[in-house]
Amino acid sequence: MKRLAFWALLACGAGSLLFDLTLSSRLPREGDWAELAGVLRAETGLGDAAQIWPAWAEESRLYIDSMPVLAEEDLVNADYPGVVRLWAVSLPRYGNPEKALRERGATPANEPRRFGALQLQAWNLHAPEIAALTDTNLLHEVDYVARRCQQLRIGSTLTLRGPALAMLHVRAGVIGERAYDAGKPPIIVNVFAGGAPLAALQVPRTERDGTGWRRLDVPVPAGDPLREFSFAVESHDGARPFCLQAWTSK
Amino acid sequence: MKGLARSLGLATAAAMALTQASVGFTRDEGYYFTAAQSYEAWLRLLLSSPLQAIAQTEKYWSYNFEHPGLTKLLFALSHLIFTTWTHALPDALAWRLPAFAFAGLLSYWLCLLGASRSREAAILAPLLFWCAEGTFFHGHLACFDIPICALWAGVGVAWIQAIESKTRGPKLWFGFIYGVSLAVKHNAWFLPPVLLVHALFLPQRRKALLTLPYILLSPLVLFAAWPLLWHDPVRHLQAWVAFHLHHVHYAWWYFGQVLRAPPFPIWYPLVVDALVLPLPLVVLLAAAGIALLIGFFRKRLSPQRLLELALAGAALLPFLLTTTPIFGGIKHWLGFVALLCPEAAALLVSIAPSKRLLVAVSAAVLLPGVWQIAHVHPYGTSAYGELAGDIPGAAQLGMQRQYWSNNVTAVLPWLNEHCPPASRVFFHEVNFESYRTYVAMGLLRGDIRYAQSPEQSDYAALQWHREFRDYEPETWNAYGTQRPATGLYLDGVPQVVVYARPGKPGAP
Repeated sequence: MKRLAFWALLACGAGSLLFDLTLSSRLPREGDWAELAGVLRAETGLGDAAQIWPAWAEESRLYIDSMPVLAEEDLVNADYPGVVRLWAVSLPRYGNPEKALRERGATPANEPRRFGALQLQAWNLHAPEIAALTDTNLLHEVDYVARRCQQLRIGSTLTLRGPALAMLHVRAGVIGERAYDAGKPPIIVNVFAGGAPLAALQVPRTERDGTGWRRLDVPVPAGDPLREFSFAVESHDGARPFCLQAWTSK
Repeated sequence: MKGLARSLGLATAAAMALTQASVGFTRDEGYYFTAAQSYEAWLRLLLSSPLQAIAQTEKYWSYNFEHPGLTKLLFALSHLIFTTWTHALPDALAWRLPAFAFAGLLSYWLCLLGASRSREAAILAPLLFWCAEGTFFHGHLACFDIPICALWAGVGVAWIQAIESKTRGPKLWFGFIYGVSLAVKHNAWFLPPVLLVHALFLPQRRKALLTLPYILLSPLVLFAAWPLLWHDPVRHLQAWVAFHLHHVHYAWWYFGQVLRAPPFPIWYPLVVDALVLPLPLVVLLAAAGIALLIGFFRKRLSPQRLLELALAGAALLPFLLTTTPIFGGIKHWLGFVALLCPEAAALLVSIAPSKRLLVAVSAAVLLPGVWQIAHVHPYGTSAYGELAGDIPGAAQLGMQRQYWSNNVTAVLPWLNEHCPPASRVFFHEVNFESYRTYVAMGLLRGDIRYAQSPEQSDYAALQWHREFRDYEPETWNAYGTQRPATGLYLDGVPQVVVYARPGKPGAP
């Protein structure tokens, strides 16, 4: 028994050390990043974005300068509004995004390419054409992902005029850690199209990470192709920073 | 054997002193440095006008009332002697010097506990404890975690000696050393019940129970070492207790979920230990814990081994209750790791077929920890072991990336090189006290200003925390760029990300 324990511990120690000493060989080197960024620079097109996978591989931001770098954590359900071609920049040893991207209906636009420990592959998202309604210039963190949403005061109404494509998409959540404040009442977004009530989106206090970015997808009634959309934000507690994103799609 | 223990203690303190320069100032240290400065002013007043100093304890000692005075008094005394009077040491090193002494004491006491098994176990016990970046890092800080861990072992050694002795000296020493632990940190509140239970399990129960009252000496030590109690002691004691009974919960990322409030996962401390420490050490400590538990249930434990089990358990127990604040990685229950080390060392010795093979298996157990220190130090709060998959594996699992902001030292040289005069830097989690110390120590240029938000800054050094993710988009919005200028990436995992306003030197 003691002999077995001896050899087991010796093997455990040696194996651990081997794992440690070979760690760098499983990770990208600076040259790998630079090479990958160069390829992206050469092949970038309108509507391109890079999705890093796993999401902690944000070292990529140091190198990728030709397109937005996204760090969505749920590849199946992420919206990617306005993105036509998604470049999956991944560390395959830590997870391959292929399965999730296929699950959402994306198809490969090219063969995967390797740069050391990195893999690069472009994916067509086959997303319908969209028209953004809310401001897309600023980013805010909701549910630990940077979102192109517009900060609104709770108790206010945002009215925007834009193309009334087939579907209206509304996303909303509380910015930062205030989303988790215990005992806070839900926030309701009442949505109007052309002055008529269309739907309501409820944003309850986030209890579990990954559920704070609330979604509403609703068909736009037929009518004027250019329409006024209103978003009335209400809650008994108005002290939380609130963010809303809205767009219509064909 | 005491000579060996002293040598290991001195070697430990020396190792801390030699490797401390690159260790950043943790948030808590910033507060303790400020406290030490206030207490040093009081010490100088005490030397010049003793009566005035005694009358004005509240003025100087009210800062950081939530922790007893002894360690901070030692930080202050060390600074007074080695910096203010003799100019022999820089500020931070002088403040940290007593912490190295406590690290040395921990090695000393672990060696003595190991020595009751064998000379080899005496050497291995402290080595097992320190050969991991998660423990080694904490040995450098002017904080209380290693001091209370050392006294956890020290009280144990003193207790064993006291109950075995027929003379009064060891019993008085036990009362004194418990008082010292009480004057270091509130963890010591848990020791009397542990010792009482231990006494009840001993064959020489009566002798042990008659030793326990020496603990009543401890308030004298607490009172003497904490001048805040010299006026209105009841109020200050109440404030001390109340602070810890109602301690705030800080967010902590754990398997992809941010833990914000109780109930916390019951096995949280054991899981974090298993992920942070090198795998062979985890295996050995687990075996030690199991061996002690089996010995307990079979009633085969010596008084010392029974005490080690009790002390290890008591260090861990509060964090298994699911309501105790869990922030700070493994630092709050280091006593659990430490008190298992003598048994772990003995197990290691017992399974080695020969002395030569003992060296081999010891190397196998210790080298992954040595590699971890060489690879990660001074960024100790970021360290993870092989079970987690090292640092990238922990990021993949969704574990706390770092804490306490000390990793910012990695980007200070870059800021010094690139920031134009009077630049404003948003240092994020680095508190003003730590910033001030970086400037005082010459690690940060004095003209670089402390900005309160990304909007008010020219540069931002963001510490990657799950719960502070909102600062990065805020910085992007303020600067109009999403491209960092530089950063600290450990094995590719972001720890500190530096942004520069476009047009500023160093901006991409």
